[in-house]
Amino acid sequence: MHIPDGFLNAATMATTYVISTGGVANAVRVANKKLGDKHIPMMGILAAFIFAAQMLNFPVAGGTSGHIIGAALAAILLGPWAAVLIMSVVLIAQSLIFQDGGLLALGANIFNMGIIASFGAYLLYRLLGSLLGDSRRARLTAGFVAAWGSVFLAAIACALELAISGTSPLAVVLPAMAGVYAFIGIGEGLVTTAVLSLVLATRADLLSLQRI
Amino acid sequence: MKHSFLDQYSDRDSPLHRLDPRSKLVATLAFIIAVVLTPVDSWPAYGMYLVLLAVLIVLSRVPPLYILRRSLVIVPFVLLVAVLIPFFKGGEVAGSYNIGMWNISVSQSGLQIFWNILARAWLSIISLSILAATTRFASLLEGLERLRFPRVLVMLLSFMYRYIFILTDEVMRMKQARDSRSFGGKWRWQIKTVGNMVGTLFLRSYERGERVYAAMVARGFDGHSRTLERLRFGRRDALFAAGLSLALVAINLFNLLY
Repeated sequence: MHIPDGFLNAATMATTYVISTGGVANAVRVANKKLGDKHIPMMGILAAFIFAAQMLNFPVAGGTSGHIIGAALAAILLGPWAAVLIMSVVLIAQSLIFQDGGLLALGANIFNMGIIASFGAYLLYRLLGSLLGDSRRARLTAGFVAAWGSVFLAAIACALELAISGTSPLAVVLPAMAGVYAFIGIGEGLVTTAVLSLVLATRADLLSLQRI
Repeated sequence: MKHSFLDQYSDRDSPLHRLDPRSKLVATLAFIIAVVLTPVDSWPAYGMYLVLLAVLIVLSRVPPLYILRRSLVIVPFVLLVAVLIPFFKGGEVAGSYNIGMWNISVSQSGLQIFWNILARAWLSIISLSILAATTRFASLLEGLERLRFPRVLVMLLSFMYRYIFILTDEVMRMKQARDSRSFGGKWRWQIKTVGNMVGTLFLRSYERGERVYAAMVARGFDGHSRTLERLRFGRRDALFAAGLSLALVAINLFNLLY
């Protein structure tokens, strides 16, 4: 879902850059307030964790393999602003080291996979949490839906940006992206659920930390 | 373990490697902006951009095939857009195919959009690949910081870079442990295993973060990083950035006039 340079028009790039810059600036402020100077090593190492976790592939249909994006996991475990900060750092590094995602498209990529995915996942998780209760089963269900939703919403944002830029017609790119990522999101959901169940079994105290 | 997939070739020596990272960052950004803003269908201009990149690759002494391989990351996205092209309606029809009961026609405007996007995306990605292959990530971060990129983000990025190697080692050990105990297995079981690996990795990273912070505080960390000033922006760096910008302006002027 990393958009390269050249796929978006100037207006879309500028708008998403402004939103993402504001979002990241606020994430830094919130992390600084809640964690103090501890946030620097903590968020940096957790960004490296997301980076490394994305190297773990699992099989998808037809001999292909996929990996998680990780925004939902970060948002559930650490909170939405922490997730925005971590995902932004990961996306900046991916663009600069691997050319995965363009430099001018960075604003859009941070918007989709950082802001939309993190807040989408967090809100879904909280909403389902308040509906289903606090049991282990409820938390895992909420985690699955939140992770699936984060991928799905990010894909829809990506499709809208491509359509607005005139790269693909909306009537086609929206259902195409939504369909493909509704499927890919299942993998994200299952892995995220497995991670949550492990954390619940071993360090349940981490899930009741103050989130940022 | 060795991780050559991170900024490979960036520790070599060439005129491009020796340049100040700020000069290269500014030049790359200028190049991508110029490419993205070049009017549609300016094929002579696209050609000249490519020549410019070829000169830079020769100067950098990075194997051209490596850069080409690197530029293939855009393929999945290009394919996505390519698949949707037949659905652009209107305009002159460039060709139509009958596949079963469907008549798929490709319009000129759809094709035009596709070729332009492909050209721009490819030129941009090559320039980014050259930047990554000629600049160590640590000096890239130093350059970013000196260009007034937010300091907190630079610190986070350098922490991340420091620990990527350690956590990648962990991931590789876990993979080795998994692969030596299983070959395949049911899909659900494989997903569960990956989940456990990611979860273990998270717990270890989190606890490592706490230990690292404690160690930093014990050594007097107060939220700021202090570095020795090592970068020097010399005449060669100014010349490179100015020369490249001039070339970009010349290409666009040529493009406007002809």
